[in-house]
Amino acid sequence: MTTRLQTLEGFYQNHIQPYYQNAHQAQQQGKPVAYVASTFPVEILQAMNITPIWPENYASVCAARQVSVRLAEIAERHDYSRDLCSYARATIGSILTKEKDILPEGGMPKPTFLVASTAACDTHLKWFQVLSHHLKRPLFLLDIPYNSSGADAENLPKHLIQHYISQLEELIPFLEKQTDTRLDKNKLRKAITLSNRTSNLWLEIQDYRKHIPTPMGARDAFSAVFFMLCIPATQTAIDFYEKLRDELKERTKNDIGKILNERYRLIWDNLPMWFNLKFFNYLNSLGAVTVAETFSHVWTGSLNPQKPLESLAKKYLPNFANCGIERRIDLILNLAKDFHANGIILPTNWGCRMMSIGETIVKEEIYKKLGVPSLILDVDSSDWRNYDETQVKRKVEGFIEILSRKD
Amino acid sequence: MQVLQSFRDIFHKRHNIAKTWKNQHKRPVIGWNSTYTPEEIIRSINALPIRILGSMESTTTQADAYLPRNACSFARSTLDLALKSDYAYLDGLVTSNSCDNFGKTYDLWRHYTKIPYFHFINTPHTNTPKSHQFFYDELTRFKESLEKTFNAQITNKTLQNTIRVYNENRTLLKKVYDLRKKDPPIITGTETLEIILSSMLTTKQKHNKLLKQLLKEIPNRPDPTKPAVRLLITGSIMDTTDLLQIVETVGGITVTDDLCTGTRYFWNPVSADKDPIKAISKRYLNKIPSPFMYDRQKERLNHIKQLIKDYKVEAVIQFLLKFCDTHMFDSPLLTEELKAEDIPVLNIEYEHTRSGIAPIKTRIEAFIEMVKGVP
Repeated sequence: MTTRLQTLEGFYQNHIQPYYQNAHQAQQQGKPVAYVASTFPVEILQAMNITPIWPENYASVCAARQVSVRLAEIAERHDYSRDLCSYARATIGSILTKEKDILPEGGMPKPTFLVASTAACDTHLKWFQVLSHHLKRPLFLLDIPYNSSGADAENLPKHLIQHYISQLEELIPFLEKQTDTRLDKNKLRKAITLSNRTSNLWLEIQDYRKHIPTPMGARDAFSAVFFMLCIPATQTAIDFYEKLRDELKERTKNDIGKILNERYRLIWDNLPMWFNLKFFNYLNSLGAVTVAETFSHVWTGSLNPQKPLESLAKKYLPNFANCGIERRIDLILNLAKDFHANGIILPTNWGCRMMSIGETIVKEEIYKKLGVPSLILDVDSSDWRNYDETQVKRKVEGFIEILSRKD
Repeated sequence: MQVLQSFRDIFHKRHNIAKTWKNQHKRPVIGWNSTYTPEEIIRSINALPIRILGSMESTTTQADAYLPRNACSFARSTLDLALKSDYAYLDGLVTSNSCDNFGKTYDLWRHYTKIPYFHFINTPHTNTPKSHQFFYDELTRFKESLEKTFNAQITNKTLQNTIRVYNENRTLLKKVYDLRKKDPPIITGTETLEIILSSMLTTKQKHNKLLKQLLKEIPNRPDPTKPAVRLLITGSIMDTTDLLQIVETVGGITVTDDLCTGTRYFWNPVSADKDPIKAISKRYLNKIPSPFMYDRQKERLNHIKQLIKDYKVEAVIQFLLKFCDTHMFDSPLLTEELKAEDIPVLNIEYEHTRSGIAPIKTRIEAFIEMVKGVP
């Protein structure tokens, strides 16, 4: 028995659909629209009234609407390997397809330009290059150094921050040229302030999930994180999170949990199977609930409006895809401690080297330091051909069995 | 020919050669795994830089416990060797972010092997002035790290000398490639690959000596090559001659390549500069690009087209290592561009294991027959 959060009722119709409608409208009115890859400092775009479109988000929408594989197959017919990132294949397919009526929300509006960053993976760079080629629109790449020691925001080597800022200093003239407007420093400070507020609210929301029983699970979190990820520097994001926070506050006060008999508290690493979000209900049916996702914690970061560029460097450089494994271990370790977790789920993602390689170290280290076991699951974020439900469920049930013995 | 055998021996006996060198010279052996690693700097502390290679001789066993199925089989093979202690003699490993597979497998090397020194070279994906400045600083930090760790001094003079020896190696390798412009080429692709691989496994001084001997002797080789379909091979790394041997037993001959164990490794020399680190950093960031570099597919394509012209290439085979994302993303457009110039292209996705090779042979054979059939 699970309870849904009221704030999340009709999330897709109330928030995702209008977001794509607005983006289409902006594009039709000749306003600047940009495709953005995750780990890109979207706050700068928002400060310049550029509408961000996230191919990653769109791929997850296509997966949830069960069309991602059909789109991936179109990319594969154009010789894009089936082993590539399924987000990339779905969105490349969405651009190459002639059957536009199968595209959720009418597809992604054609952008004015594209921006990406190397702060997550080389796939972003190559994928956006392919999109840029087919769309015949320019791409700006933020060439971000790798944070190999896995330092957090406070301990980042100075030269990494400096180089990050130097990249932003090259980005800004590009944006100014593309949009024919100057970046207004006050607007940037305002965007940073808004984004910071959104981030703090999101962290406040996460804090409530530490409560036993936890009032919110992964399914709701993976919906709600949309604002944090895609449009953090908006009042819309703040309003939504305030409402959500209030609801969680109320629930924790009354000890209303996500599920009635909470037995196992899980941490979910990386992405969900967007095509099968019901999987979280299945976990619930086993008495398990997800109390934290790494995905809900990588996009947060305290921003200082007085030092906008430096704080963006500190927000995005230490995201764990851009770091040596220590960072990911620390993050999961801290989540497991703070959220009183007794199990970790580490999903691989067929087309994703960054997330898949190194999971064994995470598993060993967490067990060594906390005695909390992990389960590695071979899945995919949006290509269900790389997902064997019977096998996955068998593994999960075995894992729950182990957890039950530790009860 | 004896000299060809010498290159082959260096390749096959690489671990013993490195260990012997280490014992004789009492100096460190340092592994590297990206063609963006400035070997000149490593060599300048009188260390032996060697490229980390995998092996198809044995199947991977240990690495499978740590790497998921969707990781690059070449990275898996190298890690497997390290876990089996084949690389236990290494005093250091230098890697970079020129490939996600290796960038992340680096964590596993650090975690599960006992190599005493690790260094990560942050390699830009662009070659703008700011990237050049960053890379220059990064290589300066690398130099200082080597000096400190291995208790050595790297002077400009040492660097200049090393650069000279490395550039000589590059010039000599180009002369070897020139031999392949002839029809039939004077040297096979398999033999050339053994030469290139061996250059990454011994000192360039020794390699240069062997190359000079080869260039002198080979025009009169007793076993000249036979005419065959002239091929360019493109792909990422090729650390085994198996694939080229197949090509060369079914009527093809490799005359040139776009590989990081080929032209991408040695094509560009280091230019003269008062500041040798600057000269080195420029060379590496501007060299014939690997696909992880941003916005330089045109450059890569032009390099391939120029080679096709200069080496009278009849067809192209692309060997794509499975899960090598940057190459896989480039592949459709690269293929399209070459086909638009009426160049036949065969794309082969493969895993770095022996078992997958039989079906490859049939496909290559059919492709070569097809190329021959074109009037």
